[in-house]
Amino acid sequence: MSYSILIVDDSLPMRSVIKRTFKAAGYGNSDFHDAANGKAALELMKNDWIDIVITDYNMPVMNGLDFIKNIKKDDLFKDIPVVVISTEGNEARIKEFMECGAAGYITKPFTPETIRDLITDILGEASYDEDLDDSDEDFDF
Amino acid sequence: MMKILMTAMKTSISEVMETMFYLPVEFKEESTLSQSKLDENKPNMICQLEFSGDFSGYVTLLIPEDLLFEMTENFMGESLEHLENEHVEGTLTETLNMICGNALSRVDSKVPFELKIPKVIKDSKIVESGLFTIIETPQSMMAINITAL
Repeated sequence: MSYSILIVDDSLPMRSVIKRTFKAAGYGNSDFHDAANGKAALELMKNDWIDIVITDYNMPVMNGLDFIKNIKKDDLFKDIPVVVISTEGNEARIKEFMECGAAGYITKPFTPETIRDLITDILGEASYDEDLDDSDEDFDF
Repeated sequence: MMKILMTAMKTSISEVMETMFYLPVEFKEESTLSQSKLDENKPNMICQLEFSGDFSGYVTLLIPEDLLFEMTENFMGESLEHLENEHVEGTLTETLNMICGNALSRVDSKVPFELKIPKVIKDSKIVESGLFTIIETPQSMMAINITAL
């Protein structure tokens, strides 16, 4: 099954790494969208249906926390699961995100397995036969 | 407090470098950059990140360009000819972001620390003074400094 996945991070390399991790985890058949901050992501969500959002916290223009607050107060977006991938590992910060409605939290640095396990919990098992289109990927799950 | 933060920083550097870049590291004693064995003839790239909370300061990370290219290749899984400057600078800023965020999470504080957006510094004169912790990788060395505000 393919999904529409939105990756929000101001770091171009990190967006690329997260996308590669999804592909290696068996979600390679999905549609990937990306944005460099929360505001740009909200604009994108007005035009494209999104099944799951992966967001950083520390971003210019609109940070991850304000982004989630905006998603959760919008009737159209509020049920979309949002996973935070951030360097912020402070328990109070993680609690703040979860109370705002985040579906999960992963701290950087992360292993591909960490992302795969959480996303599988949220979206369900990926179909490797159909989705694994990443023969050049070097992750070893 | 800066000593506690530097201890946390070393743990974070090891974790980030090994997990995201597949590079084990070892730490050397603090020294100025001119006293260190960092090759002055090689171009370096520099990044700074300011933080605030129970105490405030900024962290400066210096990585020789050739080491940063290798880190970018490892991070993105792309060979050098497919990489652009944005990828290399993005890897530099993201490295410092991960190191600082991870380290500050290990330090007890009343409120979570706030991190600003890391900035690439073009003027290398800003790192001529001050003590840096030298980080040795299998290929090269890099350096980090914490300054209190």
